[in-house]
Amino acid sequence: MKHRNKNIFIRTTVIKKLLISLVVFLCSVQVALAQDTVSDKYGGQLVFTTTSDPRSFNPVVAKENSTSAVIGYLFEGLTKTDGATLEVLPSLAKSWQVSDNGLVWTFYLREDVLWSDGVPFSADDVVFTFNELIYNDEIPTSSRDIFTIDGKKFEVKRISDHVVQFTLPMRFAPFLRSMGTSIMPKHALKSAVDDKTFSFTWGIDTPVDQIIGTGPYLLSLYQPGQRVVLKANPLYWGKSSEGERLPFIQRIIYLIVQNQDVALLKFLEGETDSCDVRGTDYPLLKPLEKEKNFTVYDLGATFGSNFIVFNQNPRVNPKTNKPFVDPIKLSWFQNLEFRKAVAHAIDKKRIVQIVMNDLGYPQYSAMNPSAGIFYNPNVLKYDYDLEKAKQILADAGFVDRNKDGIREDKDGNKVEFNLFTSSNSAERLQIAAIIRHDLEKIGLKVNFLGLEFNNLVAKLIGAYDWDAILIGLTGGIEPHFGKNVWVSNGQLHFWNPGQEQPQTQWEARVDEIFNLAVQELDDKARKPLYDEWQMIVSRELPLIYTVLGAGISAVRNKFENLNPTVYGGVFHNLEELYIKKKYR
Amino acid sequence: MLKYILKRILISIPLLFGISLLTFFLIQITPGNFFDTLKLDPQVSPQTIAHYEKLFYLDKSLFQQYWHWLKNLLHFNLGYSFYYNAPVSQIISSRLFNTFILSLSAMLATWLIAIPLGIVMAVNRNRFIDKFLSIISFISLSVPSFFLAIILLYFASKFGGLPLGGMQSADFDQMSLLGKLLDVGRHLVIPTVVISIGAIASLQRIMRGNLLEVLRQQYILAARAKGLPESRVIYKHALRNAINPLITILGYHLSGLLSGAALIEIICSWPGIGSVMLTAVRAKDLYLVMASMLMGGVLLFLGNLLADIMLAWVDPRIRYTDS
Repeated sequence: MKHRNKNIFIRTTVIKKLLISLVVFLCSVQVALAQDTVSDKYGGQLVFTTTSDPRSFNPVVAKENSTSAVIGYLFEGLTKTDGATLEVLPSLAKSWQVSDNGLVWTFYLREDVLWSDGVPFSADDVVFTFNELIYNDEIPTSSRDIFTIDGKKFEVKRISDHVVQFTLPMRFAPFLRSMGTSIMPKHALKSAVDDKTFSFTWGIDTPVDQIIGTGPYLLSLYQPGQRVVLKANPLYWGKSSEGERLPFIQRIIYLIVQNQDVALLKFLEGETDSCDVRGTDYPLLKPLEKEKNFTVYDLGATFGSNFIVFNQNPRVNPKTNKPFVDPIKLSWFQNLEFRKAVAHAIDKKRIVQIVMNDLGYPQYSAMNPSAGIFYNPNVLKYDYDLEKAKQILADAGFVDRNKDGIREDKDGNKVEFNLFTSSNSAERLQIAAIIRHDLEKIGLKVNFLGLEFNNLVAKLIGAYDWDAILIGLTGGIEPHFGKNVWVSNGQLHFWNPGQEQPQTQWEARVDEIFNLAVQELDDKARKPLYDEWQMIVSRELPLIYTVLGAGISAVRNKFENLNPTVYGGVFHNLEELYIKKKYR
Repeated sequence: MLKYILKRILISIPLLFGISLLTFFLIQITPGNFFDTLKLDPQVSPQTIAHYEKLFYLDKSLFQQYWHWLKNLLHFNLGYSFYYNAPVSQIISSRLFNTFILSLSAMLATWLIAIPLGIVMAVNRNRFIDKFLSIISFISLSVPSFFLAIILLYFASKFGGLPLGGMQSADFDQMSLLGKLLDVGRHLVIPTVVISIGAIASLQRIMRGNLLEVLRQQYILAARAKGLPESRVIYKHALRNAINPLITILGYHLSGLLSGAALIEIICSWPGIGSVMLTAVRAKDLYLVMASMLMGGVLLFLGNLLADIMLAWVDPRIRYTDS
């Protein structure tokens, strides 16, 4: 009896204990849940690969894209371009006003912004960035070229602590978008400007904690050849739409690898969270999506173009007193029918198939299909049609008279020319080879040669001694920034650069369009002008566009809020992304 | 001896001068310069490019440029890298240590494995072990190292276990000291194997040949006849003489310690000097190329000098005189 009692007693205490622990457990769960609603999204890290070291931590003197990718999160501009909608959004400026004549812009700056060393951000920093850095002739920076219109600078003035005024020499449509340029801290950099060492300041040899920005991330570590680590900026001003302090992800790691193949392997191994995918890698990656827990995003056409340009430069080389281009060849290249025939003979579909593993797009317009409203999809399209191409050539007097498979022009000269491309790009070499083959089918003899990039550039814009070149340019969403290619006095007006007077009617019209459109502040009013320009280009074919690659990225399934776009990439809204709990 | 060393150093000065002159003008013969890539950017004006060229002395004549570089060199200033926007000395020194680690590990692996193997092969001449090792060494000699690297990386990616290139893991900074050492060690495995496998094969064959050569000598016969134990004959008498010629090879290896195995560094993403050199040459980053070439020259010279000194020290028969 006694014994039994004891047993019951034991049992009840056990049950009691269990109950108590259950209650405690439930309470703790509740507490945990309560905490979660506050800090649910914070933590975790994002690992990228990059194929080259950053080359500077100074956005004013940085010259290329690989650097901007890494330091892009450290600095901010007055405005920013939304990676998805391509709209201009407020950033360091919370709002702005423009005068009726479109020349005076007043920006009202945020008052809650601190530099990462705790010093408040103010109008002085903006004035300093423009007047003492960008417009400083001692500092070589390509930003100056963007903010100089016909040799005239913008006047940048401080109105009060948090108001800045820009006075422009003329109306400048891309102004608001270009205000995304990084603002730099005056208190940290003034002395370097004064002792004229700014060009060498904030290089990759600078200790990382001395780099001061306003962006969502700070530099935490740079190991040359190995990795760059960014950490969340605790003083960052940005808030999510629910009022949470941004950013959520605490660390960003860029692993520096030698090439794309290593990047891909590291991604498949699970070492990294995201990876750019080339067309040729797609069949390898796609089937592994489920097994390796990632998603492959096809973002659409990328911005880099590939085109053929024929040399139509009629001038005489002042050094040798000989024409830059053999007059016989010049007459072919200047012949629109000849260029049309070439356009019809390029099998874009096959190029996409062979070179890009079917993951690419034919390109017809001078603007990129991903460029939003300024892209004109209704330009003239030259379909692949060898018979038509042959007919056009025959009608223009290019006939194979001696039956050797190669056409001769009206005067009996064999139509044979050189096509150069950059030997540094395997993709372009392949494209050129296919085009050469296509052109041979319509009786044009093409000698194709890959040249080292520097050599090619020297020929293209210095020596002018070339017949045809296959090359590309990186594009963007703002057509005006391609001005140097399109206006007739531009240095990059490849087919006939630096003209004093437009040589043709259509070039005169394009000059006019660029001049008008840049002064038109309303995008809707600019669009018809740029549409017309794209139409003219497709009609006159100074550049014969070929194909565009597809922007494909693979991303591990560990992020929330992801919204990949081709303009902004996968992580354009990085500060708003957060990592699913189990991956932190 | 001291006189000999001084003389060698004096001779090296015009040699290095010649190397630098040749490198400089070879780079200049190729068309264009570093800033050519900028010229194709529609948003960069020719004035800006001219500005850059002026900043880095590229607008001066070739001889002025060379003179400028040489003058700086005499002040121990190696110039400025266009590509990395930082002093060349900074770029090189930040990577030199990594190359050194890899080369050292490869060198240790090579010598510590090749010498004993060579001895084993010589002692067991024509037995199974000798023939077996010979076959292995022929195979490893004939496999190109870059190919081997790719194969090993492939297996690493297939079966896991070893990292795919690099020198440290992404979360290296959060590791304990021991963890860090182990992490670097894990990353060292593939590049070390790749670099040393060919070297082991050739070095063990040299070692085997040398030892066999020595074992045929009369004094070995004498030692054996004296009734010395075989181990004493080999390790005390034969080995010392057999190892002599290897010291010259060691000198070459020493000179390669810092210039490293560029190709393997690049394939295995090892953050050493090799990948920097490749980038520099491709981007026409003039002063960085110059500095790395010169460094290679200096190291080769030092390695050789060191080998000569060691040889004299090990083998009393060799004496350098200044006759």
